[in-house]
Amino acid sequence: MHPRYVLKRTGQMVLTFFVTVTFTFALYQAMPGGPAEAMRAMILAESGQVGGSVNLDLLNQMVEHYANVNPDKPLHVQYYNYLHSLLIQGDMGTSIYQGEPVLDLILQSVPWTMFIGVYALALGYTVSLFLGAVMAYKERSLFDSVASIGVIFLNSVPYYIFAIILVYVLGIEYSVFPINGRYGTFVDPGFTLEYMSSVVRHATLPVVSMGILATGGALTMRGNAIRVLGDDYVRVAELRGLRRSRVAMQYVGRNSVLPLYTQFMIGIAGVLSSTVVVEEIFAYNGMGKLLYDAVLLHDYPVLMGTLLVFTTITLLAIYIADLTYGYIDPRISTGDSNE
Amino acid sequence: MSEADELDFEELFDDTDREPPSRSARLKRTLDLTVLAPLRIAIHDWRAVVAGTILLLYGLMGTVGVWLATKPSSGDHPKLQGPFQELAYPLGTDLYGRSILDQIIYATPDMFRMIFAGAIVAVGVAAVVGLLSGFMRGTPVDAVLMMLADIIITIPGLPLIIVITAIFQPTNPYIVGVFLGIDMWPGLARTVRSQVLSIREESYVEASQIMGLPTSSILRRDVAGQLMPFILVNASLTSRRVIFESVSLYFLGILPFTTYNWGVLMNLAYQENALTRSELLPWLVFPMITIILMSFAFVLLSQAMDAIFNVRLQARHAETIDDKEMTE
Amino acid sequence: MTDDVAIEIRDLAVTFGVDRGESNVVRNVDLDVYREETLGIVGESGSGKSMVALSLLDAVPEPGTVSGEVTYYPEDGDPISVLDLDPEELRRFRWEQVAMVFQGAMTSFNPVMSIRDHFRETLQDHGYDVPAGMERGKEILEQLYLDPDRVLDSHPHELSGGMQQRTLIALSLLLEPEVLLLDEPTAALDLLMQRSIIDLLRGIRETFDLTLVFITHDLPLLTKIADRMAVMYAFDFVEITETDQLLYHSAHPYTRALLSTTPDLTTPPDEIRTIEGNKPDPVEYISGCSYHPRCPMAEEKCHSIEPELMTVETEHEASCHYHAEVPETVPIRNNPRGVADE
Repeated sequence: MHPRYVLKRTGQMVLTFFVTVTFTFALYQAMPGGPAEAMRAMILAESGQVGGSVNLDLLNQMVEHYANVNPDKPLHVQYYNYLHSLLIQGDMGTSIYQGEPVLDLILQSVPWTMFIGVYALALGYTVSLFLGAVMAYKERSLFDSVASIGVIFLNSVPYYIFAIILVYVLGIEYSVFPINGRYGTFVDPGFTLEYMSSVVRHATLPVVSMGILATGGALTMRGNAIRVLGDDYVRVAELRGLRRSRVAMQYVGRNSVLPLYTQFMIGIAGVLSSTVVVEEIFAYNGMGKLLYDAVLLHDYPVLMGTLLVFTTITLLAIYIADLTYGYIDPRISTGDSNE
Repeated sequence: MSEADELDFEELFDDTDREPPSRSARLKRTLDLTVLAPLRIAIHDWRAVVAGTILLLYGLMGTVGVWLATKPSSGDHPKLQGPFQELAYPLGTDLYGRSILDQIIYATPDMFRMIFAGAIVAVGVAAVVGLLSGFMRGTPVDAVLMMLADIIITIPGLPLIIVITAIFQPTNPYIVGVFLGIDMWPGLARTVRSQVLSIREESYVEASQIMGLPTSSILRRDVAGQLMPFILVNASLTSRRVIFESVSLYFLGILPFTTYNWGVLMNLAYQENALTRSELLPWLVFPMITIILMSFAFVLLSQAMDAIFNVRLQARHAETIDDKEMTE
Repeated sequence: MTDDVAIEIRDLAVTFGVDRGESNVVRNVDLDVYREETLGIVGESGSGKSMVALSLLDAVPEPGTVSGEVTYYPEDGDPISVLDLDPEELRRFRWEQVAMVFQGAMTSFNPVMSIRDHFRETLQDHGYDVPAGMERGKEILEQLYLDPDRVLDSHPHELSGGMQQRTLIALSLLLEPEVLLLDEPTAALDLLMQRSIIDLLRGIRETFDLTLVFITHDLPLLTKIADRMAVMYAFDFVEITETDQLLYHSAHPYTRALLSTTPDLTTPPDEIRTIEGNKPDPVEYISGCSYHPRCPMAEEKCHSIEPELMTVETEHEASCHYHAEVPETVPIRNNPRGVADE
């Protein structure tokens, strides 16, 4: 790995981060009637002083307290203050509705979202990559045709409809899995088997629902594997008398998964997106639900904070993917690819 | 280079090397190559036939259907009637006595509008950005465009759209489609760019071999020929995404309920706990089937187009049974 | 050269089922490969020569089927019927007894693995001692004028075409096979590199007591290395003999046509000739001699009766009814040896 590439990539990431922060700031400004109006209305409604006269200075102070944006200052000063409090003080503002710092709210919910998100991604891709590889090995067989249609069909079912079906069948009709919350109501958090198993059982349906997002990977994998199976080096490996398992893993598997690696990391963005709907369906208190509730309650600081954190997670994932790609595919270690 | 080879090259570049054929003749040829020929193959591809039939039905539903159906409103019919009982409400009625079928039909035109706008924005922007970036590789334009694409790839789509729609509260289906498309172009644009680059490399090598043929003309020909299929396949896949995301926004109740949408039906039914009340289930299930079937048609269509256009893949495929290739 | 046979091919046929019928890409061929000789198999592209080579390793790709017998006689030990080996035996047989080198060296390596890993896994999967094997691998690389450590540490794409080809040859010798099959090993290389590879092959042939089977469409190239030649036309051998005999006393019209089409540097471009007529089709059955549609000598008999390989002289067989008359009837325009020997 070239230090120059790492440096360049790191610079890109930092730049992207700043642009995103600026973007959220711009969104504040884009709110109808400006951020101040929107926030003022919110704060007034929240404090129950509708119609009464309010001290304007006090109101502006409150807006600044919640959103780190003082509407009376010039734009660039507002921007500087926003950045300063966000980056230096780690302050993302305060929830208007709950009165708690946005950062605290997010830190409480991020692990849960990452938990179901990462498992959904890992599970979904493992299953679909394996399926795709088997389909390729049995190309044009009955299994291949049936699996292809199955995958196309699964691709046509939105994950949230899949979630609803799972809730209905496995949650309500057969009561196999719980459909609400992160763990059982009467279970105390701690390193107990009861708590762990409750967490896993509660996560099962959300994970499976989101895992369906990865099924499209099966068809891509199938296509890649068919292409690789026709490549010379696989034939030569067979002629070299290598073991079948080695040819399957090191030659066919590795070379067909490679093009999917970046897609896998970008898939994190997709999975995080889906948590908004899935966590709402399963009343799972993660970041997605935090964002959703913030939208309904017009809790703008929380809305912006969650969006920023969602983006940062994806940004880091893609950054790691880019930096590690050189290790699994030595061809691009020079860092100058066409992709 | 032997004489035979030279002859081949001349034939290969006949249309660029000599007197160019008239514009209309060229158009005709392009039309035949890119539209008519695939269509002829499509008739023999079951996926294309099934997808085409389903989409035609949806098209009819969105046009003739709307004309035939009555605009649903509360109290039209008895409440919570089961499906397949009365011709006036074949799929039953909801909690407010509205025909479920009529609501599904009335949501169709807007869905098409959203898909249209979303696909145009996503694929159009992707094509323009990808082409520009590819042709201007290494220039600041390329760098800026790709950075923009990277940034948007990084922001999770649904939360972004939720924030934007929460702020702007769009009611016009075209605007909703445009918003949804914003999130979808960057990935495509990157792929278009890398395709342009690889075509450029191939063409450049070829062109330089045959001494002084303008690269640009070859590029134009190759790029148009190779990108069109890609764009069509992705337009189909984008349509599916627009359906998924728009319905999810209505299902979540984030977009205003001023229009009919399958997601609105799902939202209302779900809020009323349709999963535990069997008399409400049709209200939830029929919109779900409608969504899945239409998405299925689009996925199927993209698969079929991929197979039809991907002649190279077919050729590679055929290699295993083609007797001529086999002997070497 | 001895008459000790290393590989004996009898009645070998390779067929593929295709839409329009059965494609016979190898038609009941017989051939002996002598121990420690270099046998050249030459023919137009599509004549079935690669399929013969793949059959020697029972590696004809799906859905092709192979019939007939391929018997391998190890230097010591019992004869092995290659087509009857079970999968595990076949796996061990490949590369330990008979190895193969292809024209696309670049595409013969796994692009994401280092050369060292290619060597190591080959040793491991055949149960060889890895450190000792790697030492041998380094020696072979050195003999091929490569810097062992540099090459082993590289990935395939970091090597030049000629280096890749030599590395692949080194890899093929790693398990000390007795027979090495070379399928157009120099086709992708420039002329200079072709020549150096041929020189190297001549060298390793002596060092490792190898039996070489060299497959190519390039007859002049073959004359520089082959002891004997087998000419393939229409999925069968039409002439088998020693190289000099073939060059100066060829007894098959096709061989002579092939020799005549060989251009050399002095041939004016408008005199470069190709063999008239269409290439044979593996699906269509041609009655009589398969070459008769293109043969200038074709008679009544050639249309109806298929000629078997007949003995012309000792160690010289040709499948032509009129092999005795061929030399005076079909002239050879230019002799490739003229170029080969400078």
